Amino acid sequence: MAKINPDFTKELSKYGAFDPNACYNCGHCTAVCSLSDEQNSFPRKMVRFSVLGLENEIQESLDPWLCYYCGECTATCPREADPGELMMSLRRYLTVKYDWTGLSGLLYRYIGVTLSAFILLALIVVGVGASLNFDLHKIMQYGHLFEMFAIGTVFLLILCPNVLHMWWLTVYKSDAKPKIKNYFKSFSDLIVHMFTQKRALSCDDNKFRWLEHLILVFSYLLLLFTTVFLNWFETNNVLIIFIGYIESIFIFLITFDFVRRRVKKDAEISTHSQPSDWFFVIWLLLMGLTAILVRLAIDFHFIDTFSWLYYLHLIVLVQWALIIVPFGKWTHFLYRSFAIYFQKVINT
Amino acid sequence: MENHYKELSYDVLVVGGGIAGGEAALNLANIGYKVIIVEKELSIGGKMILLSKVFPTLDCAACITTPKISEIDRHSNISIFTSSEITKIEKKAEYEFVAIIHQKPRYVHIEDCTGCQLCEEACPVNVEDQYQYGLVGRKAAYIPFSIASPRVAAIDIENCTLCGACERACPTSCIDFTQTDEYFRLKVNSVIVATGFKLFDPLKIPRYGFDRFKNVITSMQMERQLAPTRPYNTILRPGDGKMPDNIAYVLCTGSRDKSVGNPICSQVCCMYSIKQAQLLMGALPMADITIYYLHIRAFGKGFNEFYGQAQEMGVEFVKGKVAKIKSADNGNLFLRYEDFEDGIVKEAEHDMVVLSVGILPNMGIDDVFDGEDLNLDEFNFIQQSDPLASPAKTSIEGVFVAGTASGPMDIPDSILSSGAASAEATSYLRRIKS
Repeated sequence: MAKINPDFTKELSKYGAFDPNACYNCGHCTAVCSLSDEQNSFPRKMVRFSVLGLENEIQESLDPWLCYYCGECTATCPREADPGELMMSLRRYLTVKYDWTGLSGLLYRYIGVTLSAFILLALIVVGVGASLNFDLHKIMQYGHLFEMFAIGTVFLLILCPNVLHMWWLTVYKSDAKPKIKNYFKSFSDLIVHMFTQKRALSCDDNKFRWLEHLILVFSYLLLLFTTVFLNWFETNNVLIIFIGYIESIFIFLITFDFVRRRVKKDAEISTHSQPSDWFFVIWLLLMGLTAILVRLAIDFHFIDTFSWLYYLHLIVLVQWALIIVPFGKWTHFLYRSFAIYFQKVINT
Repeated sequence: MENHYKELSYDVLVVGGGIAGGEAALNLANIGYKVIIVEKELSIGGKMILLSKVFPTLDCAACITTPKISEIDRHSNISIFTSSEITKIEKKAEYEFVAIIHQKPRYVHIEDCTGCQLCEEACPVNVEDQYQYGLVGRKAAYIPFSIASPRVAAIDIENCTLCGACERACPTSCIDFTQTDEYFRLKVNSVIVATGFKLFDPLKIPRYGFDRFKNVITSMQMERQLAPTRPYNTILRPGDGKMPDNIAYVLCTGSRDKSVGNPICSQVCCMYSIKQAQLLMGALPMADITIYYLHIRAFGKGFNEFYGQAQEMGVEFVKGKVAKIKSADNGNLFLRYEDFEDGIVKEAEHDMVVLSVGILPNMGIDDVFDGEDLNLDEFNFIQQSDPLASPAKTSIEGVFVAGTASGPMDIPDSILSSGAASAEATSYLRRIKS
């Protein structure tokens, strides 16, 4: 027997805007949603779960990740209950619930903790720099080592256990007992959706946003590869240098557009921005920007006078890799694609 | 300009000649007051005269309205100004209102026209008939509808080609293209506002495909198809003239919907849809009728029993708000909704869809008042000074409100409110002498 928890909406309000009393259960949001189908009818089900405070049902559901926030449900809701933003808030909530360390919870709910963590990491970077007497060459080597170390550690210690946790909540605990072979049969879906966000194309009027996002994902992943494995900052290979420029320019341009839209609030999706959203887009933008500047400084031989550019880049990178990637919005990259994968595994 | 005004003097001005205004005028005229009705349409009778039957008794709407309007028409204490609008009402003092009436030319001398319709036959211009809500056409020289009052011709000058065929055909020479706008200065002691309502325009919800899909019609169009003076003499879907056998009703089209700016309930759509469903089952015995609803609001006397009667007759009620309508090649329609019972999105096929459009305020009457403000409520209906204790009073003493001008209501409530308005007006007028 489910237990009703009326205080849950208060808890949820820390993750975004939603008026729990507005909904009169007409089901318009679910019927207007082009991603909603007979197997997964949302968002009204999630609205009900939230109003009743059925946390177990919410945590066991994949539906919040299957929504790509076109905003149609919110724009046409007869009660202005904002179901679209509820789904977004649930994604933030689930990000916190999947995280075994509990650090996501602190970062998502307390802006002070987030800012302190950002400042602390910046001080550590400066401290390490000072202990190396600000020897730029040495610090660049350390920075490169850090990248490889951070990727491995974050992946093994945080991201893998969290995705397993998600699997445990949504697949293992559910009534569906999928066959092992389903995991292999559906694996291609995981890869396709992880890299293309193909599902978002079914959203109405979403083609340009989808394309921007696609280019951003590929630029980001390629820049990661170029800097970590091709050592972009220290290479002399003209082709690698050129590719790195292209990637970081794309990252900068697209994230700039994302930030612009969130400032202008010109579409439903960019109307409600939580700190986690701002940190995500702004830090991605700063990564793109500082990467370009550092490489320019190297190519035009003024890096020794403007060495602080590299320190700035390193600070942004460390904050990104140790806060936003493991505990922040970056994780939607995994959770969204794994949600589609798990869904397929269950339903096959 | 001032000199062109013709002077008039009455006891009470009634703005709007629908069932509410007509009822109020009749009450006042019967106790001896001189009343003037100013109606913007070509006929009095408002929306009720165009309806099929009324709920929950299934009485014929025209059979109630036509005797009433002919009584109004022939009453020695009532004057009627059709195709006229009030442009200004100024309260000079208590019991002293001055109003300006703008009468648009009808291009027909009302007193000479016999309603023979020879001009209609002669006229070569075909346009959409607004009194049949676009279901059929009419001529540019036309009698508004068969039970109109006055039942005389009018020239639709915007569509008229000035060919003169009607003039030549008219046996009484009552068509007169030299008519011009006329202005009247009216002195009255009291005013009753009975400006009624307008229907929600379903084009504001493009997802429902109204106008794009010919077999999606409004409830008023269905009302015309069911009325005794119906245009097709049966029920047909407009797309291809097929007799429908699976009709859907979409309730709350433009009501209780903040996204279209109208958050309140229109109070009549549930019941008129249930009424139409019952009438359709009589007209098309083999047809299936499905009503998609949020909550059935059957709050009036005999309403819930009427709802139960529809269920017993086999009308299907599905809880869920329709979100999108798609059209198939054969003109059938697919309605997408979430079935509330099992919480799953579904698509249902119907061959005709009726949008149960809601009631919106008829705007503009507050702008007419000069000097004192006629207050509106937050939904732009006329604000009652106290909805419980004195529902017919407004923010201006001596100005009363009747019918749906103060908010959505059904016909019995409109007539009750006209009774209240005429009683309040009488009480106000009696104080002149004392």
